[in-house]
Amino acid sequence: MKNIFSNPEKSIAAKLIIATGILIVVVSFIFWYATLKKQEKDIMSIATSYGESFVKFTKRSINHSLLTHNPDETQQVLENLGTPEGVQKVTIYNHEGKVIYSSNAANIGTAVDTASVACRSCHTDPAKSAALLPAAVMWSVQKEKGATSLKIVSQISNEPACYSASCHVHSSEQSIVGFVEADLSLALLDEALFKQGLALTAYVAVFVLAVSLFLGIINYKIVTHPVHELSVGMEHAASGDLDYSVDIKSVDEIGVLASTFNHMIKDLKAAREQRERWTQTLEEEVAKKTEEIKKTQAGLIQTEKLASLGRMAAGVAHEINNPLTGVVTFAHLMKKRFPPDSIDSEDLDVIIEQAERCAKIIKNLLTFARATPSEKGQIDINNVLSRTIHLVRNQEKFHNIKFNIDLAEKSFITLGEGSQFQQICLNMFLNAADAMNLRGTISVATREVEEDGKPFVEIEYTDTGSGIKEEDLPKLFEPFFTTKPVDKGTGLGLSVSHGIVKHLGGSIRVDSTVGKGTSFFVRLPLLLRKA
Amino acid sequence: MNKILVIDDEAIVRTSSKRTLVPEGYDVKLAESGKSGIEILEKESFDLILLDLKMPDMDGIEVLKVIMERWPGTKVIIVTGYSTVDTAVQALRLGAFNHIEKPFTPDSLLAAVREVFEQSQGTGNAD
Repeated sequence: MKNIFSNPEKSIAAKLIIATGILIVVVSFIFWYATLKKQEKDIMSIATSYGESFVKFTKRSINHSLLTHNPDETQQVLENLGTPEGVQKVTIYNHEGKVIYSSNAANIGTAVDTASVACRSCHTDPAKSAALLPAAVMWSVQKEKGATSLKIVSQISNEPACYSASCHVHSSEQSIVGFVEADLSLALLDEALFKQGLALTAYVAVFVLAVSLFLGIINYKIVTHPVHELSVGMEHAASGDLDYSVDIKSVDEIGVLASTFNHMIKDLKAAREQRERWTQTLEEEVAKKTEEIKKTQAGLIQTEKLASLGRMAAGVAHEINNPLTGVVTFAHLMKKRFPPDSIDSEDLDVIIEQAERCAKIIKNLLTFARATPSEKGQIDINNVLSRTIHLVRNQEKFHNIKFNIDLAEKSFITLGEGSQFQQICLNMFLNAADAMNLRGTISVATREVEEDGKPFVEIEYTDTGSGIKEEDLPKLFEPFFTTKPVDKGTGLGLSVSHGIVKHLGGSIRVDSTVGKGTSFFVRLPLLLRKA
Repeated sequence: MNKILVIDDEAIVRTSSKRTLVPEGYDVKLAESGKSGIEILEKESFDLILLDLKMPDMDGIEVLKVIMERWPGTKVIIVTGYSTVDTAVQALRLGAFNHIEKPFTPDSLLAAVREVFEQSQGTGNAD
């Protein structure tokens, strides 16, 4: 309510209040003015009527003294008539305007003002007495400073009693013998009128104020306040606060608007929440997919890297087979020239042996590069594991290593080549032994797991060795990658194992903590036995 | 005397084969490419051909196809590296008699060669 008039062109209520205010003021003013004028007119009419009565009374009072031509009595009566409050003066003058009698004796003998109503009420011009006005007005009001006075003039007609009177002052030709003029003060009436006007003004002012106030309050209650509430609500909504609701309980248009607005905000909120949920789900989905893509990409890069390395290794290995053939053949040919037990024969055996070792390495390399179309048979994982552990335990390298075996009682059958699987186990144990500096514990466990709804056997190899540095993890399955001294490792063990496991449809996963140890998890698909 | 043609782009393999087979009484001729091998075959006939699979210009499979088409019944032993086992299988399907892997030892080569002639003698197909 306070600020609606500070900027009225922006407020409906201010415009309404100003418009109705102006209307009320204008209407009230017209009413006030009309009432005042009517009162004045009525009062004046009453005043003239009383004035005329007074003049009649005067005429009657002096009738006798005039007929009897008793000027002193006439003068006395007039003086008496001039005494009451409100009567200023009573005068009698002849048709020529000469004052004969007056309540104020000082006026006797003076001439009447020809411009006054005394002459002008009948004559347009007193000099040309023949021109008479069609309707004579016998009274006039004089407004002077401080008081208003009413001048009433009445002619004294020449009655038979007059011209037949014994005094013979008037002849019978005269139609008018003189005039009675009364000057009456309207001060009291003025005062009454003024008081009434004042009261009326006060009433009208109070009425205007009351109506304006009432309209203002109604306006405020019905329009300004709800509109303000709505606009606050809209500001809240615009700034994003959708918890705000407009508290308007009326059932008129604004109430309907408010309830529609509340409904809209509720819908908006629901939509926003839905959108937020969608956004969040979408973000989660995107993050998940991104992670999956990253993993797939990393896997693809790794696979591609391994594949290209494999191709290169295969090419190199294949070329080496040719010179090796020469080495083997000529070593054999030479050997035939020496007696079987000679030193030379034994030396040549070393050459043959080493060349064959080369051939074996190449074969391993090619296993990694290209899956061997081996004869697949059923392998009992636990069985092969037990045999391999038995084999390595008796080796000198494993004398200070404790084996912690936890094989599942169930037998896990997978399709593959037993010797290849044994090769994987051997690689794992040899790597573990090297990682632990030939001292520590190797834990072996088997368990059944499920991957994409298919049963797999998981073989866990855990050592208490030095662990694998994080930067080495991505290179772990690359051929020729080794952390062992140059003469100790070829860097093929894990890459070959990886190749075999991949070929069998499995996977290898590594968990390692530097200083604590490493766990390899080999997963191979289980053979689904038909019931 | 059984005649053997060795087709291999690698000189050391040709030499190794010749040095292994000649002392055992085989008549061995050498060709350093598929093309020159076919040229030799056009002039004279052989009882056995040792054919390398991986060669530049014309590879072993192409040579084998030509041999099987023009001189059907010729015994061919494919000499292959480990990585070309698939191709070796393909070669056997195309009509090759056997295959041996590189690097081979004199004993394994002789064993494979002898197997061919023992069988030919058994069937009385030698000429």
